Amino acid sequence: MASVRRSRSESLFIRYLVLGAWALFCLAPVLWFLSIGLRPRTEIITPQPIYFPTFSLDAWHMIWEDWPMAKYLRNSVLAIIGSVVIDLVLAIPAAYSLSRYEYRGRDDIGFYILSTRMMAPAIVAIPIFFLFRNMGLLDTIWALMLVYAAINMSVVTWIVRSYMLDIPKELEDAARTDGASDLRILWEIIIPAILPGIITAAVIAMIFAINEFLFTLLIASTPDAYTMSVALANFTGGSDGVIYNAIALVAFIAFVPVFVVVVAIQKHLSRGLTMGAIKG
Amino acid sequence: MARIELEGVEKRWGAVVGVRDIDLDIADQELVVFLGPSGCGKTTTMRMIAGLEEPTEGEIRMDGELMNGVDARDRDVAMVFQGYALYPNMTIFENIRFPLRMRGVPKAEQTRLVHQAAGMVELGEHLDRKPGVLSGGQRQRAALARAIVRNPSCFLMDEPLSNLDAKLRQAMRVQIKHLQRELKTTTVYVTHDQIEAMTLADRIVIMERGAIQQIGTPDEIYANPSNAFVAGFIGSPPMNLIEGRVSDGMFTAPGIAVAANGIEGDRDLTLGVRPEDCHIGPSDTHLDGAVFAIEPTGDLTYLTIKAGEDLVEVKADRGYRADLDAPEHVAFNLDRLYFFDPESGIRVR
Ligand SMILES: Nc1ncnc2c1ncn2[C@@H]1O[C@H](COP(=O)(O)OP(=O)(O)O)[C@@H](O)[C@H]1O
Ligand SMILES: [Mg+2]
Repeated sequence: MASVRRSRSESLFIRYLVLGAWALFCLAPVLWFLSIGLRPRTEIITPQPIYFPTFSLDAWHMIWEDWPMAKYLRNSVLAIIGSVVIDLVLAIPAAYSLSRYEYRGRDDIGFYILSTRMMAPAIVAIPIFFLFRNMGLLDTIWALMLVYAAINMSVVTWIVRSYMLDIPKELEDAARTDGASDLRILWEIIIPAILPGIITAAVIAMIFAINEFLFTLLIASTPDAYTMSVALANFTGGSDGVIYNAIALVAFIAFVPVFVVVVAIQKHLSRGLTMGAIKG
Repeated sequence: MARIELEGVEKRWGAVVGVRDIDLDIADQELVVFLGPSGCGKTTTMRMIAGLEEPTEGEIRMDGELMNGVDARDRDVAMVFQGYALYPNMTIFENIRFPLRMRGVPKAEQTRLVHQAAGMVELGEHLDRKPGVLSGGQRQRAALARAIVRNPSCFLMDEPLSNLDAKLRQAMRVQIKHLQRELKTTTVYVTHDQIEAMTLADRIVIMERGAIQQIGTPDEIYANPSNAFVAGFIGSPPMNLIEGRVSDGMFTAPGIAVAANGIEGDRDLTLGVRPEDCHIGPSDTHLDGAVFAIEPTGDLTYLTIKAGEDLVEVKADRGYRADLDAPEHVAFNLDRLYFFDPESGIRVR
C-alpha cells in the first residue's frame, strides 16, 4: 500500500517536473523580453554577459513620452474590438443558418466561408489596398476593423456553428411550439446557450487581430492608424538605430492582455481550437 | 379544446418513408396514445400535428380548420419532449413563463399563471433554480408545467416519462392522467411502453413500420387484436404466438394439440394464447412440455415452458415451484384462443 502511494506521488512529481520545464521553456523568451525592456539601452548591446542587470525605466518613459504609444494602443483596441463586434454580428446569424436550415448549396456556402481562410493573405493584399484607397479609408482604423473582421469571419463562423450543432434540436422545437419566432429563438435560446462558444470565438479572433501585421502595415501609413504590432517596426529604423529595449517592452505590453484573457478562458479554448474535430 | 383529424397523412424524406396512410380522428378531450416500437413513426406523426414537420401528403385539421402550412407557433398546441427541452439558461420560473411571454400575456397575469401551473404539478419551491440542478422528476414536472401554463387546445407528449426510473414513472403517469381529466384538454401521448399506453389511453393507436395497425380502446385492443403484431405487443408478458398447423379442426404443433373451432380445411396457422389464459393442470391438457425457467415476481410466478422449439409463457400462482426440465402440462382457456395467418399476420379467428 505504502509503496503504491509513494510511486504515485513520484510519478506526480515527475509530471510536474516535465510540465514545469516545458513552461519555463515557453515562458523564458517572455521573461527575457521583460528583462530587456527594463534595462538601460547601453547594457543590452554590450557583448559581455551581465549577471546583475541594472533596473531602468528608460524604455518605459520613452515609449509613452517620445512616441504616441497611447494612440497606438487606442487604435489597436478600437480596431480589434470593432472587428470582433462585426464578426459576431455577422457570424452568429450565418452560423445559425448553416447549422439549422436546409437549403440548396448550404454546404457549399459553408465551405466557401471556410476557404477564405485557406489562401495566402498576400494574394489579396494589392486588391485590398486599392479597394480601401478608392473608398478613402486608407490609414483609418475603420479599414483595420474591416480587414480584421474579414480575416476572422470564417473562423468565428465555424466555431459558433460547431457549438450550435451541439444544441439539441428539441430545444428549438420547444421554443417554436411555445410561440417564439426564429429571431427570438436565436436571441433568447441559442445565444445564451452557446455563450461560452461565442466568447471563445471572440477571443480567438482577438488574438489573430492583435497579431495581424501584413494588412495593418499596408493600410496604416501614419500614427493615425498605427497599431501596436506595426508600431514595433518603428523602433527598428531611423537615426536612433534599433531600440531593443523599447521593442521588447512594447511586445510585452501587447502580450499581457492576450495572456490574461487566454488564462481566463482556457477551459473553453481547447474546445474552440479543436472545433470541427468532432462535428464537421 | 380541439378535435384533431388526420386524413391520408404521409411523410417521406426522399425515398425514406416515415409514416403513411394515417387516418385518425381524435375527439375533443380525448387522450390518445400512439404505441409502437422505436422507429415506427410515432414522433413523426406527432411532429406533424405540432407543425414542426410538414406532411408530404394528406391533410391535418384542428376543429375542422386545415392546418397544413400553418407554422407551429400559430397552432395552439403545447408539446412535452422526451428530453424535457427546458431552456438551460433560464430559471424554472422563466421556463414556465416563456410561452406566456411569447404570446403577450400581461405581466401580472403571467406570474399568477406560472404559480398556478407550478402548483398543479407540485413544483412550488424550485422556481428560482436552473434546470441543470433539478432531478429528472422535477425537470419532468417543469416541462409539464410549461405545457399546461397557457391552456393550449391540445397537448402533445413524446415519451415524456421514458427518462425516469420505474417508480417515478408510475407516479408521474398517475399525475398526467389526473391532470388530463382535470383540464379536459385533448392529448396525444407517444410511448413504446404498452403498460403506459393501456393505463393512460382512452384509445390506443398501434403503429408499426410507419403504418397504423389498429385503433381501439385498451380493452378492445387487448381482447380483439386485429393482427399478430398487435397481439404480440400488448400484454405483459405478451401473447404467446405458436406456429403450427390446423387440420380436421385441430391445431397441432410440437407438444401442442388443441381444438381450433370454426376453422375449416387444412392450413398453416399461428396460435395466439395469452399467459393468463394458460392454466397448469394434471390432465386433459393442451400442451405438454418441460419447465424452462421460473420467475417469481411476488404476486405471480412467470413460468416458461418449452414445447418443441417454442417457449410458452404461463402465469402461474405465486407459490408455484418446479425443477428445471420437469415435465409440465398446460390447459388453454378455449374461449380465448386467437388464430393468425402466418404470412400476413392477419387474424383469422
Ligand atoms: N428528418 C428525418 N430524415 C429522414 N428520416 C427520418 C427523419 N426523421 C425520422 N426519420 C425516420 O422516420 C422513421 C420514424 O421515425 P420516428 O417518428 O422518430 O419514430 P418513433 O418516434 O416511433 O421512434 C424512422 O425510420 C426514422 O429513421
Ligand atoms: Mg420517437
